Amino acid sequence: MIVASNYLDFSVNLQLIVGGLALGSIYAIVALGFVLVYKSTDVLNLAHGEFLMLGAYFSVTILVTQQLNFFLGLVIVLAVMAGFGLFIHYGIMRRMVGQSFFAIVLATIGIATIIRAVLLIFYGPAERGRMKVLPQGNFRLSGANIKYVDIIVFLVVALCVLLFFVFFKYTRLGLHIRAVADDLEASAAMGIDPDRVYAMTWATALAMAGLGGLLFGHVTAAIDQNLAAIGLRAFPAAVIGGLSSLGGAIIGGLIVGVIEQLAGGHIGTKWREPVAFGVLFLVLLVRPTGIWGRKDLERV
Amino acid sequence: MSDGLVVKGLKVVYGGVTALDGVDITVAPGAFVSVLGANGAGKTTLVRSITSLLYLHKGRARAGTIELDGSPILNKKSRVIVKAGVAQVPEGRKLFPNLTVEENLLCGAATRTDSAEIHQSLSEVLELFPQLERMRAQTAGLLSGGEQQMVAVGRALMSRPSLLICDELSLGLAPKIVHQLFELLTEINTERGTSVLVIEQNARLALQHAKQAYVLELGQVLLQGSAEQLRDDPMVQELYLGGGGDARAAYAAIERPPRRKRTRRPQ
Amino acid sequence: MTGTLAPDAGPPRMTLKQLARHKMTPFAIAIVTPFLLGSIELGFRWQPYAAVVILVVVARLAWTSTPSGEQSYRQDMALWRLPSERSWAAVTVFALLTLPFMFASGFDPPMDFPWATWFTITNTILIFAMGAAAFNLLVGYTGQISLAHVAFLVLGSITGATVGIQWSGTFWLAVPAAGIAGAIIGGIVGLPALRLRGLYLLLATLGVHFVMLLAWREYLLRNFGFVGIRFDKPTIPSWLHWLPFINPDENGEFLINSQFRWYWVIMPITVVTLLFMVNVIRTREGRAFAAVRERDVSASLLGVNVARSKLLAFALSSAIVSMSGAMGSYYLGARGEDSFNINLVLNYAVIIVVGGFSSIQGAIFGSVFFWALPEWFKWAREEVWIIKDIDFLSDHPSEIDLAIKGILVVIILVYKPEGLTGVWKDVKSIPSRLSGRREL
Repeated sequence: MIVASNYLDFSVNLQLIVGGLALGSIYAIVALGFVLVYKSTDVLNLAHGEFLMLGAYFSVTILVTQQLNFFLGLVIVLAVMAGFGLFIHYGIMRRMVGQSFFAIVLATIGIATIIRAVLLIFYGPAERGRMKVLPQGNFRLSGANIKYVDIIVFLVVALCVLLFFVFFKYTRLGLHIRAVADDLEASAAMGIDPDRVYAMTWATALAMAGLGGLLFGHVTAAIDQNLAAIGLRAFPAAVIGGLSSLGGAIIGGLIVGVIEQLAGGHIGTKWREPVAFGVLFLVLLVRPTGIWGRKDLERV
Repeated sequence: MSDGLVVKGLKVVYGGVTALDGVDITVAPGAFVSVLGANGAGKTTLVRSITSLLYLHKGRARAGTIELDGSPILNKKSRVIVKAGVAQVPEGRKLFPNLTVEENLLCGAATRTDSAEIHQSLSEVLELFPQLERMRAQTAGLLSGGEQQMVAVGRALMSRPSLLICDELSLGLAPKIVHQLFELLTEINTERGTSVLVIEQNARLALQHAKQAYVLELGQVLLQGSAEQLRDDPMVQELYLGGGGDARAAYAAIERPPRRKRTRRPQ
Repeated sequence: MTGTLAPDAGPPRMTLKQLARHKMTPFAIAIVTPFLLGSIELGFRWQPYAAVVILVVVARLAWTSTPSGEQSYRQDMALWRLPSERSWAAVTVFALLTLPFMFASGFDPPMDFPWATWFTITNTILIFAMGAAAFNLLVGYTGQISLAHVAFLVLGSITGATVGIQWSGTFWLAVPAAGIAGAIIGGIVGLPALRLRGLYLLLATLGVHFVMLLAWREYLLRNFGFVGIRFDKPTIPSWLHWLPFINPDENGEFLINSQFRWYWVIMPITVVTLLFMVNVIRTREGRAFAAVRERDVSASLLGVNVARSKLLAFALSSAIVSMSGAMGSYYLGARGEDSFNINLVLNYAVIIVVGGFSSIQGAIFGSVFFWALPEWFKWAREEVWIIKDIDFLSDHPSEIDLAIKGILVVIILVYKPEGLTGVWKDVKSIPSRLSGRREL
C-alpha cells in the first residue's frame, strides 16, 4: 500500500485507479453473481464472500499445489463451484420455500459458517501467499507502475461479463431465467420449470464467485479467512448499482473498487471498509433503490 | 368420454378454507366452454388446479381427479401439463414486464424443442395480431391493456395447445377489444379445433360465444348446460345478466346442492 | 364449563384440594426451598439431589393441570393465565434460586461432569439471553431487519468504559448509561428503517456495524492504548453492608469477584429485563410491534403509528443490547481490539434461529443451547467412550464447533423453523395428546 502525500499526483492516482479497476472488476463479477441470485430467487446470499474465499482456496489447491495447467484448472474450479451451486439450490434453498426473508438470510449465514469451518479444517488458519500463476511484473505508463496482473484480471472479468450477458440475453435458458425473475407464476404457467432455473442461477453465481476468488488470489496480499470479508464488500457494489440491475452491479463494483483504492492509498487502509459503506449510505440516502434500481411496489 | 379435459369431484382447499367443493367439468375436444361465476366462486382456483399452480398460493387438491385425454394430470408438474397441450392466458395477463413482446411470445414456447418451427409459430401469431408486429422489440410492460392481452393470448398460442384456457379475458379492457378477442377465440376454436375454456365474469359476452357453460358458486357447480339454455335461464338472467323474469321464485326453485354447515373446530 | 369470557365473574370456584394443587403448592415450594438449602455455601451433599427431586415433583404438578373454563377479565390480563403456566414460572423461579447453590456446593457428578465451568457458562448464558431476547424483539417480533446488533454491544462497552472507568461511575452507573446511549443511537439507527426495506436495510445496519467497529478501535487507541480496557470488578457500596447476605471481605469491601456473586448481580438484571420485555409485548405498543411485523402498510391503515413503533422497537432493543454489552464487558473484565468481530453476529443468529424466532423463550433456549453445546461436545470428546477415540474430532475442536453451529442453523431453518421453542411446544403437548385432552 502506498501512502501518498500528494493527492493530485497523476501517476499515483493512475496506479491507484488501475488497481482499483482490477479490484473493482472482481467486486463487479462477485456483485453480478449476487444480484443475479437476488433478482432471480429473491434470496439475499450473505455467504457470497465465503464462496469467493472457497474459490480462492480451491484455486490454490488446483493451480498451486497440484500445479495444473491454468486453463484446465480454471475449468475445473468453475465446474466444481457450479456443481456446488446446484447443491445449494437442490439441497437447501428448495426446501426453504415460503420462509421469511430474514430466515433465508440467516440460512445463508449458516452456510457461510460451514464453509469457513471446513476451510479452516482443511487448510488451517495460517495464511497463504498471493498466487503467482498469472504473469507477474509490471510496466511503466506516464510515470506509474502498472501491474500486468491488474490488466489481466480486468480483461478476464470483462470477457466473462460479456459472455454472461450474451448468454443472458440471447440464449433460451437466459430468457427463462429472466422470465422467472420477472414473474414466477407466469413462468410456471408457461411450463418453465422454476427449479431448474433457480439451480442454474445458483450454479452460475457460484461459478462467478469462484472465478472472482481465483482472480482475487492473484491481487490480494494474502489468502486467508479474511477473504470472506472482502466478498462482503461486494454487497455495497451491488446495492449502489441497484439490486434489480445487473449492469448496475458491474458499474457499482468498479466504482467501489476505485473509491476503495483511492481512499486506501490516500487516507489509510483501515478506512477502506468504512468508506465503501459510507458511499453506500450516501447513495441510499439519495436514491434508496440504488442508482439504476427500480422501485418495488409493495402490495397490501 | 375419455377425451378432452375431464374434471371430476375436485375439492381444493387453501389452508382451512374450501375453495372448490366437488366440481365436475368436462371440456370435450373442440368444445368452447365457459365457466361463469361471481368473485370468489372458485373459478381461478379451478384454473390453478388444472395447470398445477396451486402450490404457489398455498392451495392443495384434497380429492378428485383431472384427466386430459384419459391420462391424469392433477398435481403433475406444470411443465408436463403444458407439454400435454394445455395453455393458459392468466388472469391479469401476467406478461413478463421487462422482456420484449417477442421474448414474451417465445416464452410461450418454453416447452417446445423444435426451434425452426417455433419461429414459424411466432410468425403465425404475429399474423394473427398485426399490431404486435410493429411492437416486436418493445418492452412488454409499456404496452396498453389491450395490447398486453393480445400478447398474452399469442403467448399461449405459441405452445400449439389443444386446450386454451382464458382466465378473465375481459378484465379491464375496452369492449371493442374484448369483442375482437372473443371473435378470435371463436375462430381458433372452429378453424383449428382447439378446445377453449373461458373463465368469465362477463356472462353475457361469454354466453354469446361459448357453446356450453357452467355456473360456479361458492366452489360448487350450480348450473350447467348449453349456452342457449343458460341464456334463457331466469336465475342466470337475474344474477349474471342483469334482469328480466321473476328471479326470486326461480332462485328458490333451483335444486341447489346442500351446503355443509360449517362448525368451528376449536384449535 | 363452557369457556366463555364472563366479565368479572370472580375467581373460579374450586375445591380446597384443587386450590392447593393449582395455586399454592408450586409457589410455596419455590420460596421455601432456597431457604432450606441455606443462603450460605454450606456444601451439604444431599441438597442438589433433593433439589432435583422437588423439581421433578413440581414439574409433574405443572404438567397435569387442567384448563380453567371461565376467566374473569382480570385473569385474562394476568401474566400467567393458566395454572400450568404459573407452575412453569414457579419451576423457573425455583431453578434460578437454587442453581447457584448447586454449582457452588461442588459435588461430584458421575463421569466428571464439570459443574464448576457450568457456573461460568450459566452467567454467560444469562447475559447472552438478555441480548438475544432484545434482538429477537426487534427482528423476530417486530419483523425488522438488523445486523447492527453487535454494534450495540460495542456501544455498550464504550459507554460502560466511559461512564464506568473514565468518569468513575462504576458498574452501577455504567449499565444504565449504556442503556440510555443505546436507546438514543438505536433510535437513530432506526431512522433508515423508515425508508429502506429488505436488503437495503440489512446493508445499512451492516454498515452501522462496521462504523461502530471502527469507532471502537479509535476509542480504544485514544483512551486506553493497545492493551485494551480493563474493567474493574464492581463493588457493593459500604452503605449497603448492613444487609444479611453481605459479608465484607478482609479489606472492608464487597467485591463481585466470584461466579457466585456475579450470578446474583447478573440474574436479577436479566430476569427483570426479560420480564419487562414480556410485558412490553402485552402492551399496546407491543401489539403495534406485532402489527408492524405482519403488514406495516395495513397496520398504518389501522391507526398504528408505524414510524413510532419501529423507532421504539429499535430504541428499546438497542438499549437492552447495549446494557448487556456493558454488563458483559464488566463480567469478562477486559476488552481489546479483537473482542468484537463479525462472528458475533453469527453467534446471535444461531441463538435466535435455534431458539426460535419471535419469542423471548426462544432467546433463552437458544442461549442455553449455544453455550452448552460446545461444553457438552468437549466433555463428550474427552470422556464419552466411543467419541473420544475419533482423532479427527479432537484435532479440530473449534472448527468443528463452528461447523456444527452452521449446520444446525441450516438444518433447523429447513426442517424445524420454530427451533427449540417449537420442539418444546411439541414436548409440552405430548401428555395432552396422549390422553386425548385439550389444553387451552
